[in-house]
Amino acid sequence: MYKGGIYRTNYKEIDMENTSQVPVTVLTGFLGAGKTTLLNRILTEQHGRKYAVIVNEFGEQGIDNDLVVDADEEVFEMNNGCICCTVRGDLIRILSGLMKRADKLDAIIVETTGLADPAPVAQTFFVDQDVADRTKLDAIVTVADAVHLSSQLIDHHEAEEQIAFADVILLNKVELVEDNDIVKVNDRIRKINPFAKIIKTTRCDAPLDEIVGLNAFSLDRVLDIEPDFLESDHDHEHDDDVTSLSFVSDTPLDMDKFQDWFGNLLRTKGQDILRSKGILNFKGEEERYVFQGVHMLMDASPMGPWPKGKDRSSRVVFIGRDLDNMNLKEGFENCKSA
Amino acid sequence: MNADLEKLQESNKTELERRGSIFNIGAPATEAVTIRDQIAVGFGDGTVRFFQSGSDPKTVKAHKGVVLSMTNYEDHVLTGGDDGRFLKISSDGNIDEIFNFGSKWVDCVASHKDTKVCSSGKTVYIWTKNKDKPQTLEHQSTVAGLAFDNKGKRLAVSRYGGVTVWKLNNNKWTASNFTWKGSHGTVTFSPDTKYIVTAMQENQIHGWRINDKADLAMRGYPSKIKSFTWVGDTPYLVTSGSSDAVCWPFDGKEGPMGRKPIVVANGGKELATFVKALNGEKAVFTGFTDGSVLLAEIDESKKPIMIRSSTGSEVSTIAISSDNSQILIGDMKGSILLSSLWADN
Repeated sequence: MYKGGIYRTNYKEIDMENTSQVPVTVLTGFLGAGKTTLLNRILTEQHGRKYAVIVNEFGEQGIDNDLVVDADEEVFEMNNGCICCTVRGDLIRILSGLMKRADKLDAIIVETTGLADPAPVAQTFFVDQDVADRTKLDAIVTVADAVHLSSQLIDHHEAEEQIAFADVILLNKVELVEDNDIVKVNDRIRKINPFAKIIKTTRCDAPLDEIVGLNAFSLDRVLDIEPDFLESDHDHEHDDDVTSLSFVSDTPLDMDKFQDWFGNLLRTKGQDILRSKGILNFKGEEERYVFQGVHMLMDASPMGPWPKGKDRSSRVVFIGRDLDNMNLKEGFENCKSA
Repeated sequence: MNADLEKLQESNKTELERRGSIFNIGAPATEAVTIRDQIAVGFGDGTVRFFQSGSDPKTVKAHKGVVLSMTNYEDHVLTGGDDGRFLKISSDGNIDEIFNFGSKWVDCVASHKDTKVCSSGKTVYIWTKNKDKPQTLEHQSTVAGLAFDNKGKRLAVSRYGGVTVWKLNNNKWTASNFTWKGSHGTVTFSPDTKYIVTAMQENQIHGWRINDKADLAMRGYPSKIKSFTWVGDTPYLVTSGSSDAVCWPFDGKEGPMGRKPIVVANGGKELATFVKALNGEKAVFTGFTDGSVLLAEIDESKKPIMIRSSTGSEVSTIAISSDNSQILIGDMKGSILLSSLWADN
């Protein structure tokens, strides 16, 4: 439906055909946050499932039937003219190898190094057809250090990106932080990312089923956006801070206007928009439309009729840099039908 | 009614399916190579099975995970696995572990006469006759394809950003780089060794004329090119990745530069996933996403012949016995068709 970047138009059809897609969890986290602790847990716990864990120089062997694969984090640009289309070449190769296995994997977990930008990993699942056919991005899980996150966010834009991209954030080492400081860190995270689920942990002790197999990238889950989080907040210190903006409209939107605006927005500003999500109420359409994007790439689809007795309101969320200079509010307002 | 349906299905079988044998292995067929009158097939369950007309296949438990790569070596096959092992296997089931790389995959293997080569990560390992210790060639990113030229003097190594062609002089390898942005996979020398061509991780193949490094970008495919094969005397490089077998002419001084490919073996809605030349003929077998296989001459006016009907699983390998008498077709579900190419006289 939209014309921005590369996208899959009929998400439902794709998923129906590929009931055997293996879910992939991307694990990010700044150095020392506790990612290795979590990986060790995944590899040593008796979870009874068959996971493949793609790591960087981890040097451990799987226990309980798990498979450990070494990767090189080779990021490369696609030649398709989309400036945002960096993907993980090694991941394409490894996933294609894993898909030749005779035994079926329950999930694949991809570890990224502490300083890695999560975008190329996420984009690989949108851009590479073979990967998209056989696997699906399940969730981006970020392990954050409750003690050091605030200072890391100031010093390292990678830490900010990892929070911005996350569907789930394990706020780890909470036992080392006073309660009111936890509230502060929590608020700081919320400012960057209003929709991630935050789980407070000690030694990453969250149940694995809250980390793996979440289906967070499913378009259905866009409908879970909590209206409570949708408060626009503008007080940030630097122009290059990652922030979020969200908009709600009870007036139905004009589909053509929205497509023009949103398509152009992703094309021209997609580099600064890290993630976008939304539920849309178009004039004259009985169905809800949902979308979910990573930089310039996105998935969009009609998602069934609006629930009876509930308000038909459109909700969109943007996470990114320099959002104030994109005239997002004005652009969104202009999409309202006359 | 049921009986009639069965009849109908029976009559939909191809001639080769009727006279051949079908084996359901249950694991994806990943690679197939010919050794004399046998065809060795590697599978996603780590086994290598040796198929021969008129007998059951011999199964060798070779790797723990997937047989990722395979080539022939004298009377043996060399295999690389995701269990980190590089193996030499004889058809009677004898396994010789050449090297164990632990948790690193052995992604690619190659051979020339008595030289055995594999890659693991960014490094290529070369074992020459009577030497226990391999020579190593380092690259800046993971190796994704290996190919010797027909004399064994040059070894093409594909990787991110292009191909390194190593030349052997006085027992020393020297590198020459061929650069093109993107990730390069399977690599091949043209039979006259004037060109190298790679399949990329994008929907295109890329070639270089070796003497002046001139680029050949062959685009326009709807999907990735997983397979290519040299056909005939022209020769044509026939590729998968489209609804037809796409055949690029490599004759003359300029090869395919500025020319259009010939397209044969139309699969309708299906995309070609594997192509294999019929030795000595200007003809190619083309396998499709639905498991069907067509045999076509490189001539757009000729009609292709249906060799194998749809199985519902993409064709992942095709091999022809060295005497051109047998064909083996394998798919991602592990169904194998072994049949004689020619009707009994």
